[in-house]
This record gives sequence, C-alpha cells and structure tokens, in this order.
Amino acid sequence: MMNSFLQTIALLEMAITSAMIIIWGLQKISQKEFPFAVKAVLLLALANLFFWPLGMSLELPLAAYVRGVTGDLSIVSTLLLWSSLLPGNKSAPISFKFGIALIALGFYPFALGFGMIDPYAWGYGSIAFFIAVLIFAVICGVANWSKGVWIVGFAIIAWGVHWHESMNLWDYLLDPFLAIWAIYGLCSAILHKRKEKARAGYLFRPG
Amino acid sequence: MSRVIALCFLLLAAVVGFIHIDSRPVWAPFSSGEVELTEAEDASQEIGSSAKLLNTVASKAKGSIQTAPPSPRADWLPDTGALSVHAASLIALRDGGVRAFWFAGTREGAPDVVINTAVFDTKSNHWSTPAVVIDRVGAEKGLSRYIAKLGNPVPSRMADGRMQLFFVTVSIGGWAGSSISTMISEDEGLSWSRPQRLITSPLINLSTLVKSPAVLFADGRLGLPSYHEWIGRFGEFLRLDGVRVIDKRRMSSGRGAIQPVVFVNSAQDATAYFRQTRGAGLPKQIPVSQAQNAGQTWQAATDLNIPNPNSALAGLTLRNGAHILALNNIEAGRHRLVLMMSNSQSGQWHVIETLENDESAPDQERKEFSYPYLMSVNGKDVHLVYTWDRKRIRHIYFPDNWLARAYSQLPIQRDSEVGADMKGAQ
Repeated sequence: MMNSFLQTIALLEMAITSAMIIIWGLQKISQKEFPFAVKAVLLLALANLFFWPLGMSLELPLAAYVRGVTGDLSIVSTLLLWSSLLPGNKSAPISFKFGIALIALGFYPFALGFGMIDPYAWGYGSIAFFIAVLIFAVICGVANWSKGVWIVGFAIIAWGVHWHESMNLWDYLLDPFLAIWAIYGLCSAILHKRKEKARAGYLFRPG
Repeated sequence: MSRVIALCFLLLAAVVGFIHIDSRPVWAPFSSGEVELTEAEDASQEIGSSAKLLNTVASKAKGSIQTAPPSPRADWLPDTGALSVHAASLIALRDGGVRAFWFAGTREGAPDVVINTAVFDTKSNHWSTPAVVIDRVGAEKGLSRYIAKLGNPVPSRMADGRMQLFFVTVSIGGWAGSSISTMISEDEGLSWSRPQRLITSPLINLSTLVKSPAVLFADGRLGLPSYHEWIGRFGEFLRLDGVRVIDKRRMSSGRGAIQPVVFVNSAQDATAYFRQTRGAGLPKQIPVSQAQNAGQTWQAATDLNIPNPNSALAGLTLRNGAHILALNNIEAGRHRLVLMMSNSQSGQWHVIETLENDESAPDQERKEFSYPYLMSVNGKDVHLVYTWDRKRIRHIYFPDNWLARAYSQLPIQRDSEVGADMKGAQ
C-alpha cells in the first residue's frame, strides 16, 4: 500500500518536472519571461498530460517513460527546477555551480569503478559525509543564498523519511543532470566573463 | 531573518538525518556460523583419513567401480516453446522440492521475454508445468516506469522464510543499462508481491546486475553479490533490508571482473570468484577477492589458476566443507562445462565430472553450455542447471553419496603438484 502510494508520488514528481522542463524550453524559444499565471496554467495542463495514462498504444503514463530513462531525480535538482517557476526567482550563484561541478567531477569516476574507494557508499550512513553535507548547506547560508539551505534541508529530510526508493543520501543531493547543469553553467559563466574582459580590453586599449 | 529561518530548518533536517543514521543497523557477521564450520571440519577429518589411501585421479575411478554410488541424473527444464532460454536459477522449497526460474523469449533481450518458473518434485523426479512469474508489461506496471526487457532471475530465502526473487530490468540500451528489481512471495513462489526497484548506482541507477545467490547475515538480512557493467566492470556486495539496499561495498575495481560468486568460509571470512572480462593480453583466469570482516572490505587476491573464457561460473559449499564450482574451464568458447570440487582445507580444485564437451566438434558445430547455477536442498546433494545451446535448460542432480565419494577421492597433494594437476584439469 505504502509502496503504491510512493510510486504514485514519484510519478507525480516526474510529471511536474517534465512539465517544468517543457515550460523552460518554451521560454527559451520565445526568449521572454512568461507571466506567472501563464506558467501556472501551462504547468497544470502539462503535468496532467504526463501523469494520467493516455491510452492508445501507450501502456503507461508519459511520466513513467521519462522515469524509466532518468530514474528519480535528486531532491536538489527537482526543487531547483520547480523553484524557477516562482516569481522573483534568482538563479543559483556561480559558487554553488562551481561546488556542484567540483563534487561531481570528483565523485562520478570513483563511484563508477575507478579504484576500490566508493564514495557512493558513504551516502548510506557515513557521519563524516553527512556533516560535510551540513557544512556545505551552512556555507550556502553564510554566502547569503538561503534557498540553497532550504533545498539541502529538504533533501536531508526526504532522505530521512525515505521519500524515494533510494536509501542513499547522494541520490537526494546529486544526479547527473544536476552535474551537467552545474558544469554547463560554470563553463557559460567563464566564457561570458572572458568575452566581457576581451570587450573591455578592446574598448580601453591604448590607441 | 530569512537566513536564520533557513538555518533553523537545516538544524531540524540535521536532527532527522542523525536519527536516520543512528537507526541504521550495524553490519552483522555472516550467518554460516561456527556450527556449520565445526560440522565441516568433522566431515573433512573423516574423509581425510580415507583420502590418504587415494593419491591419484586414476585410483578414484577404480574406487567408484567397487561400490558404485548412485549416478548423477540429468533431465530438462520444461519447454515453453520459446526460441531462446537463458539464466536459470534454483531454490529449495519447504516441502523438499526445487523451484527453478529462467527467462525465455524469441531472443535474449527481446520485449517478449518473460521470467518462467517450474517446480521439480524430488520424489517423482518430474517438473511441473511452467508458469510465468512476470513479463515486461507486468514489471512496467509494478515499477511505474518503462521497461524494455527482463533477465537474470535469482531467488533467495529470507530469514523469515519468505522467498525473494531478484531480477534484472533494462529501460534503455543493452544489459549494461540494467537495474535490479525484487519481489517477495509468501507462498513458495505461487504468487508475488508488486516488484520494487533496488537503487544501487548514482548514475540514474544504471548498470547493476545480479547472477549469483545471496548470502545470509546473522541478523537475518541478505548480502547480494552483484556487479556493475557500464564504464567500470566490477563486483559489488549489496546489504539488503527486505527490498531496500542499506549498504554496498566494492568487491573489485576496474574493468576485469563481474558476476561474483561468494563462498562464506566463516562468520567473518568470505571469498569471491568472478567471471573475468579482461582485455586482450591479460590472464584469462578466475579473479578472486577476499573479505575478512563479513564482506565490509574486499581485497583482490591471486587469481584462481583455472581458465575462464569470460563466462559465468556457479559455486556452492556443501555441509561437509566441500566447495563446488560449475564452469567453462577453457580460455575461449563455452563448449565445455565441468564440475569441480575443492577441499576447504587444501583449497585445490579438481574436475570431478565433465558435463559437456564439444571440444572434438568443428568450431561452427560447437554448442554453448553456459550460465550454470548450483543449489543444494540438504547441504549434501547438488542440483545444477545451465543453458544448453540457448535452446533449453539442462538440469542435473548429483546425489549426496556420489558427491561424498568424489570428495573422499580428491587427491592429497603437495604444493609442487598443484600446477601440474590444474593443467590436467583443463
């Protein structure tokens, strides 16, 4: 019974996430920010489209197909994406993206078999790892990014109450899509800064 | 102010997290226990005295003529009409019967592949009519996600007596994109709970597979040998609490060893043998890892000096301490399958039966004999199943007398003789 409920919740999460990604894509195409009401209506319509079985030749709801490929996204990814719908949302600071990118680049090679050290195993209950996560969240707070503190807090609580199928804290904090987003964001920021620097150099170059 | 509220919320989360960590069960020793070990030692002492009389494999054959114990019996798992069958496994039932699982379909990885089961009545020596345990659509609905194919069913007995079945599902790509799912049966495999997904990998849970039976911990939880196949190819030891992975330990690293088979030697000591997947130019032998703390940390050991052509092996420990392996003991191909035995004290392996051998056939006519799986009902006898040319599943029963005799006839060897004997075993 509980399993059935959690599976439904997971599908609902995926349906909302899929809808959010489509809205984000539509905004990028139209190159202008939609009003909140438009986003809310779109979210409602698309999330329902993904959540309910459509019949025809499809055996499952659309969200289940997406979930089959991506698995459950981390709570951090999910909340970052969902919060982008809120009015007055500010993008994550570059230092957060840098931190995530650095962690991901160190984490995935070892977690995928490079050597006998498996950092993924720390996520099952290592006190040291858990304290490191808390310190990361406190740094977000000190850096005046309260949203980061809330998101990490929710991820820890979701892990503690066993919200998803995983018992591993890593799965609530990080996923490959978050890592790609962070690395892409970091690279874009660096390129942008370089361009700005080059432009400034051109403007103020002695004649 | 908002920062203070956020930090207070983090404090609450920290409390929840610490409670969660504190409630986590400690790592328990293996349940093999000292009782079994004592029995094994007693048995091997008895056998050792008689084995001193027998120094060669030739004298072994002579001995068998004198008393002629019951011979192994072979039959086939029931035919479902499927063109391709593979990955059979077994579990002992409470009534003394044996339940087999295997997957069948038009070809390996096809969408029509189902997991079949049938029961072997050990009194009448007959297999029941096969039934479908789960198909792709059933798995999809149970797991609430798209599933493209099924494979590798592995049954296990939980400490409370319920039967648990692990199997592999793939949503995208080949077998390297697999995840493990599990179901529980309270009626010896007649009906099953809704399947649940085991989360084992940080990369969208891709690429963890199962092939070998689980081992039991003293606290009633299961340790499931599994393996990772994408990017890295290595063994992993999952500690399970029912349908949840609560810990995981790496058994090997790199790209050279999958499908671990775990021999529990004592409450703390275990040895794992792997299917080798090494690149060209590297030794084609069985990789080995050892653990001395109930599987919490594994260390690579010297290869077992038996050839392995990148094919699965099966292992089992009998009550008398004898270790059994079923494997293809050749460097290339899967056309020869043998049963090997080892004395737990000497650790030297000897071929006790050649089960299949197409060595003399031309290359194109050689059949594949692969994916063996061993199981004992009473700790003395052995049931073996394996894929026979991908068309059928062969079942061979080795009676306890036959195995006891084979064990008693294992040659007593000095270390210097071991290498020569292993060459002979090939």
